[in-house]
Amino acid sequence: MVFFHQTSSLGLLKSLKKSHIFYPMPKHQQMPIVLGCFIFTSSYQCAKPVDPKRIRPGTTTLSFKGKGEGIRETRVGKDYSSPRPFNLFAAGASKRRSGPREAIEDSERSILSRRITLHPPEKPLSAGEWEELKGQFEGLRKFELLMFEQMIACNSPIDVAKSLLAAVANREGDIQYSILLKYLCLCVSQGSTEEIYDVHDILKARFKTLETSGYGLLIRGLSGTPRWREALSLLEELKKVMTPSKSNYGDCIRGALLNREINLACELFHEMLAKDLVPNLDTLQIFFDTGRSVKDDILKTELMHILSYLRDNQVYPGEALMQSIKQWFESIPGENWKGSLTTIKHSGQCPSCNQSLESINLSPEEYSTLKERIIKDVIQGTDTFRKTTPQELEEFQTFVNQCPPFDIVIDGLNVSRVYNKAIPSQTLLNVVSYLAQQNPRMLILGRKHMLKKTSQWHRNDMAALQKKAHFFFTENLSEDDPFLLYATLHSGSHCRFVTRDLLRDHKACLSDSLTRRLFFKWQRGHQMVLSDYIPGKRIKFESVLNFDTIVQTTGNTWHIPYDDNVLKRSSYEVPTKWLCLQQK
Amino acid sequence: MHLFNIIRRSVFQLAASDGTKRRFFLIMPSRVITCRTLVLSAWLNKDSSPSATEKLDLDGWKHVMRSAQQEEATERTSQSEEDSPLAVTRELIEMWRLSGRLVPENISEEDFKTLNECPTKSSIRKYLKFLAIKENRKKADREKKEKRNEANKERMLNTQENAGGELPNTFLPKFWTRSQDAVYNWRAAQSMIFGQPLVYDMNYENYMSRREMENTVKQLMESEGANRRALDPFHLHYCNLKAGGPYHKEFVKRYGEAWDKLFVTVTEKSYVEVFPKDQLVYLTADSPNVMKTFEHDKIYIIGSIVDKSMKTGLSLANAKRLDLATARLPLDRCLQWAEGAKNLTLDQMMRILLTLKDTGNWKEALQFVPQRKHEGFVNMSSWSKEQIDTWKKTKLHEKMAGQRKAHKQFAQNFSRRQTQKNWWEDVS
Repeated sequence: MVFFHQTSSLGLLKSLKKSHIFYPMPKHQQMPIVLGCFIFTSSYQCAKPVDPKRIRPGTTTLSFKGKGEGIRETRVGKDYSSPRPFNLFAAGASKRRSGPREAIEDSERSILSRRITLHPPEKPLSAGEWEELKGQFEGLRKFELLMFEQMIACNSPIDVAKSLLAAVANREGDIQYSILLKYLCLCVSQGSTEEIYDVHDILKARFKTLETSGYGLLIRGLSGTPRWREALSLLEELKKVMTPSKSNYGDCIRGALLNREINLACELFHEMLAKDLVPNLDTLQIFFDTGRSVKDDILKTELMHILSYLRDNQVYPGEALMQSIKQWFESIPGENWKGSLTTIKHSGQCPSCNQSLESINLSPEEYSTLKERIIKDVIQGTDTFRKTTPQELEEFQTFVNQCPPFDIVIDGLNVSRVYNKAIPSQTLLNVVSYLAQQNPRMLILGRKHMLKKTSQWHRNDMAALQKKAHFFFTENLSEDDPFLLYATLHSGSHCRFVTRDLLRDHKACLSDSLTRRLFFKWQRGHQMVLSDYIPGKRIKFESVLNFDTIVQTTGNTWHIPYDDNVLKRSSYEVPTKWLCLQQK
Repeated sequence: MHLFNIIRRSVFQLAASDGTKRRFFLIMPSRVITCRTLVLSAWLNKDSSPSATEKLDLDGWKHVMRSAQQEEATERTSQSEEDSPLAVTRELIEMWRLSGRLVPENISEEDFKTLNECPTKSSIRKYLKFLAIKENRKKADREKKEKRNEANKERMLNTQENAGGELPNTFLPKFWTRSQDAVYNWRAAQSMIFGQPLVYDMNYENYMSRREMENTVKQLMESEGANRRALDPFHLHYCNLKAGGPYHKEFVKRYGEAWDKLFVTVTEKSYVEVFPKDQLVYLTADSPNVMKTFEHDKIYIIGSIVDKSMKTGLSLANAKRLDLATARLPLDRCLQWAEGAKNLTLDQMMRILLTLKDTGNWKEALQFVPQRKHEGFVNMSSWSKEQIDTWKKTKLHEKMAGQRKAHKQFAQNFSRRQTQKNWWEDVS
């Protein structure tokens, strides 16, 4: 493929673009080859005809399907790479669904990578040589600044930067603050303590106050050195002008912990949480790393506090933090913890210690608050007319109150459009008939246009559906999802709902993060997703998880879900890998 | 040199730990200055041979900085230090400017108040950036103006030199903009009596931030101007405009004295009270109905709102509440939409409606949709043919055709039955 000539690769592209032929999904061995022609066309020239800027998601030039088939097809397409049973909320699911598009974006990025024009020199130059170099880039106004930025990017030796500083000082008798900042940044990234001290002293003497990035860099630079206490005083100065960021606090905490000042670190940590800052994971990691070597009751309670913080705020540790937690537990003397990495089965049992994990069902109080909030925030919002009308809402509520509780609530429109080559009403009928085998009480939500006799909604199908399930039709202008949520919640915790929608926009309507988390937990435990549908052959629902993905303990065991480094997890997904700790 | 550094550093550490750095700088030995002169002279006498790089004094800049520092330090102690939050913020902004961030050089008191009300760090940053861009634009405008004035002066001088010939003979006296304005005003006055009403719904004050509100007023002024210049202007109504509300204040601020002389009907009443309900059509991008033709007996309503944050369904909700007809422009049908939201600005809307009113030609009217948002007009004839061709290939079409046949037969039978019935009725 390397000797594939560029023009021919373009020809291939064009033919792919024009043809409406139905290409099969490429197998994984073929993928790199097809992309190869992209990757080896490193020059921008030959990528021009493709015009990557114009590539919009869904209409990629490398689409392996004709234009007739949409993205929905790819989503339904069988996914061999995912572990079975596949879950919509499992980390990396969205990336898998988006399929080969990601790879194309990567190759685009490689094509569109900016050409670096300024190359910092290898060795220190004299002032004259710097002038010469500057002369070459005539018209570049901020030559020194750009040069420093490039030095930071290339991680040049400090001596080169010093020589440039010397040249500037020699020319102007003074050095701008912005240039000093860039130099400081370079020193901090290379950890040259002496230089950081000097720049710190110069800055403190020259300027009465600094600004956020200057303080941030100095705090970072000083926190790992013997003069780490000065970082604390810098933090105090920063507090006068602005709320410090989480990394400022994180650096100070790192400095305190490296010097075994446990109390100070804890104080800073609590102060940070009080300001509603979410700590960086590596800050937490330093706590656990320190815990391994320092045996101290205060620190132990603090670490337990951190674990409960992770639980309460649904923060999932990364792989590095997970390893630190594991090692800390195993290093506690006399408690004999043993950690192992597992994935949990769908039954909710941990394979390594046979412990059942926490149920995903909400407590009755949580349930009732969620129900209220759905009505108040999602359906009514600031203006009932935006999603429905008051009259319709009342109608719906009386309808739900009259009916006995349902077992399954179905988003009729969503389900009917699962398979775009079939008639919607038939698809809906097939899915409902499949679900009706266990004789549940079903409610189908739809819009009034489904009642009209059209080519898409057949009378006889609708009549058959009427026999199997209850119906509620909203106005065509109303949103049906909020009603789906409310009907499901109203029926009780045994009730499930069927839709493929991720419901992110409705989650966003909820006003505070706690309720949003409740909603997400409830959604994971109650949403049935139709993952695979071929008419007359296969109907497959993803199994609903019955355990909650959250840091949890039973006293002598801990189960901690974590993100592995490879998979990118979206915000509406939860990790699938677990750290199981048990006391022997 | 190295020795000196070592000594200096140790002294520095002591100084730092004592926290008496400033005093230390005041009593700093004059040796540093001599050092500076030494360094400088070294620089001046250096030869640019490659061997010089090895002898480079890399720490020279520190001494330069320190000697500069010393002067600063003496200056600073003479200043009275104030630590009020206001001064702190001003200093922070000044330092941000030095570090190369986009912040304005001088901030007015009013802007400072707004800045203090910013709730988050990012909002402060954004507001400062906005002010900085505004400042830069003003500066550029001023420079342009000065240049233009100078060029004008030169031209005047040249013409004066060339003058002295006979005066030109013209048919008309110079046509001033005054007379143009008079014509426009006559037209606007005429439209106030006979023109087709066009309503701006000013009901969205509470849904907007300050900046969005200011933008809305600016767009309204634009559209009012476009309307005045049209051949056949609309009779504009600003309905639901609360006296003393933010809109009203902003209008008075922007228009000044002209606000009371505008040929626009301003009312606190709702449009439902002013016009018959069945004539009103609310234009909103969320509407399910596509506008096919411009109707001259309808009264169109435009919601005057700029929503920088997506507020979907706001104007549709209003129309639903009052049970009004709604419509949206046929953007999808006529344009190959590329990017951007389909809600257009108020002045674009106004120009589109004016063009439609005059010509009824969609293609001409939709030229006011920003070019960046679409990739040209849909070629209706060829497009539909292609669509039909691809669609015919699908199995769905066959099914549907079969259904249509069945429907047709059913309909025929049904109509036959109907006629028979009528016939019976006639007989009886």
